[in-house]
Amino acid sequence: MQAVFKDLTADVRTLSIVGMCKNAGKTTVLNRLLAESRGRVLGLTSIGRDGESTDIVTGTEKPGIYVSEGTLIATAKDMLDLSDITREIVHTTGIPTPLGEVIVVRAKSAGNVQLAGPSITSQLKGLSDLFFSLGAEQTIIDGALGRKSLGARAVADGVILCTGASYDMRMEKVVADTASIFRIMNLKKAEFVPAESDRPLNEVLREHGEALVPGALTDAAVVPLLKSGALKNARLVVKDPSKVLLSPDTLDKLAIRKVSLETVEAAKALCVTVNPVSAYGWKFDPDAFRRAMAAAVNVPVINVKEAAE
Amino acid sequence: MISIGFDDKERIGLRYVLDSLHPCSPFGQERVRKLRFYTPKERGALETELDNTDRAAASADVLKQVYDRIMTVLCQLKDIRGSLQRLRDGAVLDHVELFEIKGFLLRIADLRPLFDRMNEAAAIEELSFSDPEDALNVLDPEQTRSRGFYIPDSASEALRAIRAEKKRLEARLYEAPEAEKDAIRAERTRVCAEEETEERAIRAGMCKALLPFVPAMLADADAAGRLDFLIQKALFAVRYHCVRPAITETALELTGMINPELCDLLQEKGRAFVPVSIATDRGATVITGANMGGKSVAMKTVALNVLLFSAGFPVCAKRAKLPMFESVQMLFDDAQSMQSGLSGFGSEIVRFNEALNEVEKGYSLFLLDEFARGTNPDEGAAIVQAVTRCLNDANAISILATHYDGVAEFARVHYQIIGLRDIDPDAIRSELSVSGGDGVAVIARHMNYGLYRVEGKADCPKDALNICRMLSLKPEILERVEQAYKQ
Repeated sequence: MQAVFKDLTADVRTLSIVGMCKNAGKTTVLNRLLAESRGRVLGLTSIGRDGESTDIVTGTEKPGIYVSEGTLIATAKDMLDLSDITREIVHTTGIPTPLGEVIVVRAKSAGNVQLAGPSITSQLKGLSDLFFSLGAEQTIIDGALGRKSLGARAVADGVILCTGASYDMRMEKVVADTASIFRIMNLKKAEFVPAESDRPLNEVLREHGEALVPGALTDAAVVPLLKSGALKNARLVVKDPSKVLLSPDTLDKLAIRKVSLETVEAAKALCVTVNPVSAYGWKFDPDAFRRAMAAAVNVPVINVKEAAE
Repeated sequence: MISIGFDDKERIGLRYVLDSLHPCSPFGQERVRKLRFYTPKERGALETELDNTDRAAASADVLKQVYDRIMTVLCQLKDIRGSLQRLRDGAVLDHVELFEIKGFLLRIADLRPLFDRMNEAAAIEELSFSDPEDALNVLDPEQTRSRGFYIPDSASEALRAIRAEKKRLEARLYEAPEAEKDAIRAERTRVCAEEETEERAIRAGMCKALLPFVPAMLADADAAGRLDFLIQKALFAVRYHCVRPAITETALELTGMINPELCDLLQEKGRAFVPVSIATDRGATVITGANMGGKSVAMKTVALNVLLFSAGFPVCAKRAKLPMFESVQMLFDDAQSMQSGLSGFGSEIVRFNEALNEVEKGYSLFLLDEFARGTNPDEGAAIVQAVTRCLNDANAISILATHYDGVAEFARVHYQIIGLRDIDPDAIRSELSVSGGDGVAVIARHMNYGLYRVEGKADCPKDALNICRMLSLKPEILERVEQAYKQ
């Protein structure tokens, strides 16, 4: 099998696959990656529930998740009963979910699994550590959707961002919004973190030329700063990318003024995948979509439909 | 049987003691959460528990590492009692339940040599764990003793054949052309269903084989809870220099006792708790003293230590002799009595009647803090005098704290708060004139909250007059107060 994702993700210990929307092709990417990694010990879990054969939101058929022998899987007990792997129960985590306690199981045969992992990042972090202690070479998290996926950086050190026609009927909007999430996700990692301060941002910026933003960074806070000139050549550091709630327009303005927006928690978006077929009937031209997306980001862009074959 | 409400646990500092314990296993946690008190009929069991705790505490130093390791194992124990009940009911347990039972047995196996080492030093009586090997062999027939749970191919010939077929199909699925895959997948699904059926039959067999071991596993769960609680009691005893009480028939003697909650609270403020001593027996004991004098503290400290003892703890005192009580009744003045709809005084009488009913059921400890405080002094004194005389004849040790005059003479024993007895008012007055500041705080600092036994007839100490002097009440008023005292 020709490696599409394996090389891109080779240096990453914990990988998160996140999507812009349902039917973006996350599961296709995951299955491809699992198939390419056959023979390596992987740890596999998800943020919350995914992997149903029918998508609960759109009602469309979804591919199952097929793991090879040796894979470690963390999933809720009720979901374990729906898997057809030969199983060795390795650990019970005590993490509760609506579908039962999260159980860690080793696949003693290949097979289909259903994922429903914890929804709290600290618990995901713990699971990832547990996978490594059990001998996993890499952990893969079937991650969250849309803005929620920005939190992935707290757990993963690499991210695959999946987008597709299901997000919106207008291709330009799909590309622009994906690029905006990508941009925020891929903020530069701050080399120094400025000291925390209770004083207003504009004072701190004028005095030091840099500031740590304690909470969320919004247009309402940034636009006046831009107008006042306090941000010129300045450095703004947020705790993690999910704290950035700026419109693409404001992000552009920050770039024009040479404001460096940085983050304390950092992961790398390794590639973007596009699914030109939506779950709702419309399709984009595959090449045009891929090209438009590639022009908007500085990482490889892969058509999932091609990767699936 | 002794039963203590949530509010009383909180009020006397028992909640604080229980919160300071860190039981590791669900079984130990349950023992702390549902704290049980020994009844006088269980004297033998209480003696054993006290002896065990005493020896575990005495060896805490040499056994520190053993205790740490025991606690680590206890932390890993899961509560499998629900699964064991299902097993008894004839259910076929699933993989995860069997994993938990195997885990439990493995931890009991880990615990046994550690407990043996503890036993060598501390000689723990009437506590033991059964050998889990036979039960483990049911769940781990290949004796790998791995932490995981897995039904091995060797469990049955049928399973071996099914799994071989499953493997063969998986290999084919990986290599076959796309067009053939659906047919292979359908075949694989059929084999997976066979595997499921065969594994279920094997699990059913395991469950049947485990059934004879259920009583031993339940006993081990209970023993683990007792061991967990025992170690926590021992560590508590070391922390607060506790002592094992001698058990008496009726007499109560607590020398130099403390209340950990107040002790720690005062320590944070840079002050020290004055140890309290009291010795009494069946009948009424009255504690008198000025209003800010700590009568309640003395009562709560008695209650706490009696309850600790009744739950099998050593007590926070230098020396202790205690009887076993059928019940402990506490009537502590608090705001909640106001909520019952009756007036404060009325609800106090209702509660007193209820408590007295309980006291009449067997040898009891009955604590009344400022009973009838909510009525006028003349009536209040008359009521408390009558109650005291009645309690002299009750089958209980009754301790009443009161600031009413003329009650003590009816009691069998009379204690007084030392208070400001040994303090020179002039010294305080001059300290106040130098430092200025909060006079009340200065007096509180000099107040001696200890108790002393009053022999013969004595009235309440006149600390109020002293306090007036120290706080420089207007001289013309002070003179009149002094004249009134002389009359």
